[in-house]
Amino acid sequence: MKFKWHPAAAAAILGLGTLPVYADPTIDQYVHFSAFGTLGEVYSDYRQADFTGEFLQPHGAGFSRRWSPTPDSDLGGQADLRILDGLTGVVQVIARDNDDGNFKPRVEWANIKYAFTPDLAVRVGRTLLPTYERSDSQNVGYALPWVRIPNEIRYSNSATHSDGVDVLYRIKTGAVIQDLQVQFGRTSEEFSGAVFHGKDLIVVSDTVQYGNTSVHLAYQTMMYTFSTLPPARFRLASAGFTYDPGTWFVTGDSNFTYYDFFGHFYAWYLSVGMHVGRFTPYLVYATEDAPTSEPPSGLTALGDERTVGAGVRWDFAKNIDFKLQLQRVIIETTDAPASFNNVQPGLRVGDKANVVSLTLDFVF
Amino acid sequence: MSRALSMKTSALGALIVALLAATTIRAEDIVVIVNPAAKPITKEQIADLYLGRSAELTPLDQTAGSAIYVQFYKKATGRDAAQVKAIWSRILFTGRGLPPKQLPDSEAVKKAVAANPNVVGYIEKSAVDASVKVALPLD
Repeated sequence: MKFKWHPAAAAAILGLGTLPVYADPTIDQYVHFSAFGTLGEVYSDYRQADFTGEFLQPHGAGFSRRWSPTPDSDLGGQADLRILDGLTGVVQVIARDNDDGNFKPRVEWANIKYAFTPDLAVRVGRTLLPTYERSDSQNVGYALPWVRIPNEIRYSNSATHSDGVDVLYRIKTGAVIQDLQVQFGRTSEEFSGAVFHGKDLIVVSDTVQYGNTSVHLAYQTMMYTFSTLPPARFRLASAGFTYDPGTWFVTGDSNFTYYDFFGHFYAWYLSVGMHVGRFTPYLVYATEDAPTSEPPSGLTALGDERTVGAGVRWDFAKNIDFKLQLQRVIIETTDAPASFNNVQPGLRVGDKANVVSLTLDFVF
Repeated sequence: MSRALSMKTSALGALIVALLAATTIRAEDIVVIVNPAAKPITKEQIADLYLGRSAELTPLDQTAGSAIYVQFYKKATGRDAAQVKAIWSRILFTGRGLPPKQLPDSEAVKKAVAANPNVVGYIEKSAVDASVKVALPLD
């Protein structure tokens, strides 16, 4: 299944999302429009590479320019459709800095869901992969405690979405709620100058919730091609957790990835935060390590880096927050450190980048 | 003249009382209601329903940011309006579901609950009548 979207159609959906569409109650029963977005500015004092908001972005802050709005800024629009009893659909289009360094809108979600029972459903279409606990909402700043998902964990999977079919099954055991998912599909992701294609994608995930505690487990496998390379196997296992009673939170995630061609990747983060009135200060530590000594690619320690960060979320008005994040990234490889692109010959292992990020996140 | 003044004063007094009532409501004055035909429900289930973890019943909301909304979420889930909005934003923008429908007042919630055994709501204790069943007090 392939979704080709004309930019004008995508823009029309985005435009519709900004209108208060509740005037006609009959339409309201069938379709619900909503939108989200982030306005961001990032400063980096490191001149030998650009700090980016995800590995696909070719430019960011540091080398090209000291301040950049491109790492975190985005705008998304969504339509939720209620077609028949049990039959629903969702389409989400997002404009975000991409591999071409522009904000051309792309389809993030587009699927039809049929619920056989309240606990058993099938979806056909495009979904975001459950690679880590928050990968399904990685571009919705308002739903995140930080400015962005730690780049280290984002780096460990080249794919972000699946075009295919999945089965969702909910099991309730007392107060424990378990959401099981089995997914079959294919995926593709455009990098600057190369395309990552994945087929025979199989995902199994389980999210367990018990009151304020949740645990997320997932396993993915697919056959991938990258640029002109022959097909190779990709496997990923991930485990994450969150405990959030309201007044404070602790959350962590870990990914273990294996690419036949690029070798192993191990990434994890841990974060704690407190809720004090309208403020939610937090700390975060994240690391990515590719320990394979001689992968076929010849690229060793691909993406290696560590981040120590602190920040605060300020919910200063209804449906809008402001975040300030300070972080230090310790670069541990000359081969594409996870947070950086546009790497210059002067980059050395052990270099440190001090990064300041400011964002306004909103939903409506 | 003095009568007009006292009328003005009492109107002002009523307005102040109304404003205070709108900005403060005690948790013990809020109750969770279900249809008289509905099964009993626990406080943990209420938190799961209103934070989108479970969909056994359809939760009904009052106006976001209203005094009863703020106090209800604080007591039932331990979260403020912004935290609740962030949680539902994640559910909404991953296509998993829409946030609870907001009804204008306790009367509207009571009417909806009286008419449907699959919904749950919260209203002022003083608004309770025989058309609905108090599932549990909030406090």
